[in-house]
Amino acid sequence: MDWRRRSDEDFAAEVDSHIQLEAERLIEDGMPPDAARAAAARAFGSATRARERFHERSRWVWIEQAVQDVRYAWRTLRANPAFLTTTVLTLATGLSLLTVAFSVFNAYVLRPFAVADPGRLYRLAWSAPSAVGRTFPPRACDELRARTDLFDAVLTHDFRFALSNGRTVVVSTVSGNYFSTLRPRLLAGRPLDAADAGQKVAVIRQQAATRLFGGDRAALGRALELEAGPVTIVGVVRDEFGGIDDFPRDLWVPEDPAAARPMQAVARLRAGVSPVEAALRLQEFAARMAPPDTPSRDVRAVLVPNGTPNPLSIELVAMLSPVFAAFTLVLLAACINVSNVMLARALTRQREIAVRLSLGASRARIVRQLLTEGLLVAVLAGAAALALAVWLLRAALVVLFGTLPPFVASLLRIVPMPLDARVFLFAFAAALAATLVFALMPALQASRQPLTGALRGQRAGQPSTSRARNALVVAQVAVSIVLVVTALVLARNFASLTRLDLGFSTANVYSINVRGDDNRFVRPIADLLAADPRVASVAVTSGNPLFVTHAVPMRADGSSALSPTMYTFVSPEFLSILRIPVTRGRTFSAAEARLAARVAIVSESTARAFWPGRDPIGETIAIERPAPPRQNEGIDGYARVTVVGVVPDKVSGLMVEGADRSHVYLPVSAADVHVQALLVQPRASSDFRPELLRESFRRLGFDPELLEVISLDEMRMTQTYPLRAASWVGLLLGGIALALSVSGLYGVLVYTLAQRRREIGIRMALGAPAAAVVRLLMRQSARMTAVGIAIGLGISFALLKMLDSVIELRAVSVLDPGAFAAAVLVVLLASFVAAYYPSRRATRVDPAETLRAEA
Amino acid sequence: MSTREKRGRLKDDRPVLMQGTLDVLILRTLLFGAEHGQGIARAIQQTSEGEFLVEHGALYPALQRLEAQKLVSAKWGTSANNRRARYYTLTRHGRDHLTRQSSRWRRLAAAMARVLGPEPERG
Repeated sequence: MDWRRRSDEDFAAEVDSHIQLEAERLIEDGMPPDAARAAAARAFGSATRARERFHERSRWVWIEQAVQDVRYAWRTLRANPAFLTTTVLTLATGLSLLTVAFSVFNAYVLRPFAVADPGRLYRLAWSAPSAVGRTFPPRACDELRARTDLFDAVLTHDFRFALSNGRTVVVSTVSGNYFSTLRPRLLAGRPLDAADAGQKVAVIRQQAATRLFGGDRAALGRALELEAGPVTIVGVVRDEFGGIDDFPRDLWVPEDPAAARPMQAVARLRAGVSPVEAALRLQEFAARMAPPDTPSRDVRAVLVPNGTPNPLSIELVAMLSPVFAAFTLVLLAACINVSNVMLARALTRQREIAVRLSLGASRARIVRQLLTEGLLVAVLAGAAALALAVWLLRAALVVLFGTLPPFVASLLRIVPMPLDARVFLFAFAAALAATLVFALMPALQASRQPLTGALRGQRAGQPSTSRARNALVVAQVAVSIVLVVTALVLARNFASLTRLDLGFSTANVYSINVRGDDNRFVRPIADLLAADPRVASVAVTSGNPLFVTHAVPMRADGSSALSPTMYTFVSPEFLSILRIPVTRGRTFSAAEARLAARVAIVSESTARAFWPGRDPIGETIAIERPAPPRQNEGIDGYARVTVVGVVPDKVSGLMVEGADRSHVYLPVSAADVHVQALLVQPRASSDFRPELLRESFRRLGFDPELLEVISLDEMRMTQTYPLRAASWVGLLLGGIALALSVSGLYGVLVYTLAQRRREIGIRMALGAPAAAVVRLLMRQSARMTAVGIAIGLGISFALLKMLDSVIELRAVSVLDPGAFAAAVLVVLLASFVAAYYPSRRATRVDPAETLRAEA
Repeated sequence: MSTREKRGRLKDDRPVLMQGTLDVLILRTLLFGAEHGQGIARAIQQTSEGEFLVEHGALYPALQRLEAQKLVSAKWGTSANNRRARYYTLTRHGRDHLTRQSSRWRRLAAAMARVLGPEPERG
């Protein structure tokens, strides 16, 4: 096809030449010239129409028309700034919330790391039925590096929290080829390389440099005090790079060949090698990594895509889809609102549309014109939404860091969330989809109208239009019910979780966990704390409550019914620090703790399950499967234990899972291999602070970075925080949807009022009391609300029922009748508020005036 | 307005041209050499003994379509009586297309004739 458009003039010349040729032909045949010219023109038909058809068939006419449409739409919208502002802002609200949700998803799942060729990076791991491995000892790492048949490069890194003068620094120890493989962009200085191994140097991230040194370039050459000793900053990377994990790092230090710690391995696959193939060819290697007793055919090498913070998977999308659905519902509510306003506007524009239709505009052209107006609104809203999304994201982060428990806030790092091309594209696509939702129906409605009445200025109150508007309001109420129910379920569960009785006291208790597997430090720390005058009591344990739980199959001796039972090794002080009362029998004696005696204290639930209706004191428990995956967590040697006491049930693991279904406590002392953590209770009047503890550890020559000190109160807050944040988001979405449906309802009622003004005037003139008129409008409002509520409740119930069958959390109730009732109440109240003002106005209709206007 | 006009003329007994019919007629006309629009119109009218082509103007959308499909090419030239005219020529692609279409039409016409049988004698 030729790219030059044939001009209209050229075609006109052809038409002229045709008619002249025909006329000359007729003259040749003997017709008089005048008659011949007339006959030739007649034979051709309408030359104008031919030219028009030529013009319309040309390739560019649609652009011409689109430009016309846009200009016309812009003029129309400009003429009504109130309409423009409300619709753009309404849509922008819905779009910006969805854009924020997508930005987070984009940052954590879709957006590749700012490194060279992220698509071929894979994290290496192995998995067996009993265990998985994500780290490899130095020799295994060397072996992986030697596999040049599979990988272009294998880098290793790890991750830990460190303190620099009381401020948390997220540190990654990296192999010599880390920076040369990833090639992140540096702001200043140089990257680390193989020659830095064992040196006290570091590369810092821009924002950490600003936080710790007060300026990004200022950090270069300065020393950063870490508890393990100072390091010199040799390079600063841009904020776009935060490592290759979903948790950005602040600092990168070279690995110390002498330390020889297990590391995570990330490989860049060779071109032409598929991850599946690489996994197969690493099987033999993986089998050697697994515990010795694992059959090698059960072990698989695993390559996890490592180009983005989290690999995209169907499971992930399925998990996140309810969240996206909630955000989409808000956008839907906004669309319905705009659609409603457009319907109302289309009615006031009936005359204009009728004129255009009667002047020969096709219906398609009118629909296109109205859709263009919608699209223009959507594009403006999309732009506003992007700006709003940037602000919302920033605000959300401020709120997040302001409300998180301080301990968690000091550790948390967020991946960068720029509005990149994907977010732009998403916002644009969402705006486009929204246009179809909110503008198509009104446009189709408007173009389908009887011409004659509209031209005469009759505003035919088309029943189909009213029905459409009512249906929209019903849909809106239904959407807000779904969102409000969800929000209230979340909020009520958060409230009940904060009130949850843990079965022990978290007040004035600090948990100290030892990071990693090395528990040699527990004993000296316990001794140190016991000697500290600020400390009232110290306990050692295999795991602190609210942190970790362990379970193995156990049974009552003499019975064959095995059941997985939680167990914790505790020193006698554990129960007193947590104020757990012994309800039967006795607590452990110091001697039992020292000797690790084969005695046990059981929880009431275990006592009931193992010896229903009997006194458990003196009974024996048989512990099965003495082959644990990790030596420290083991319970080998504990085949039979005798019950000496009973304690009430408590929550040991996640609060959402509720109180333990079973628990067996075993005595232990600080010297035992099973201890992993400590509990500290400071004296009430002392100035005990976790930082002081770290100071003492350092003086004793321990690396304080191995310890994690947090108060149990804060841990409790940390556990409830996700639900708290979720309920806030839910309430925000529910609130916006509710506000939208209130304004939608209000709009419809005001419109009804305007339409029925005459009728109301006549009724009042005939003696109808004001109350009857109010009832008229209230009834309409109540009908729409009731239908909307019914539909919304049905949908919410179905959704939550589905969720309820998936979730197995005992402290969480998804099908919460209270939340349903409260949501109905809230929506009813809102609909009453929406109906109040229009109803009041209806009573002020002056019958005399309406009747005059009628005449 | 335009639709009404068309309907008015259709009271005329001449058959309505089916979509694609006109294309074949034009291509067939051009088989004998380059021709301008008026020449094509005349030729179609003469060969079909006045059965086809009500308006000469109706020819042009078809010509435009054929040009866009590269079945014909067009060039301004001079007519026998020294008048400027736009001449249409069959392209090679157009020639192939005509061959295919002609045989299709012949089969269709033959089949229709068989189904309808001989014209009944009147009166």
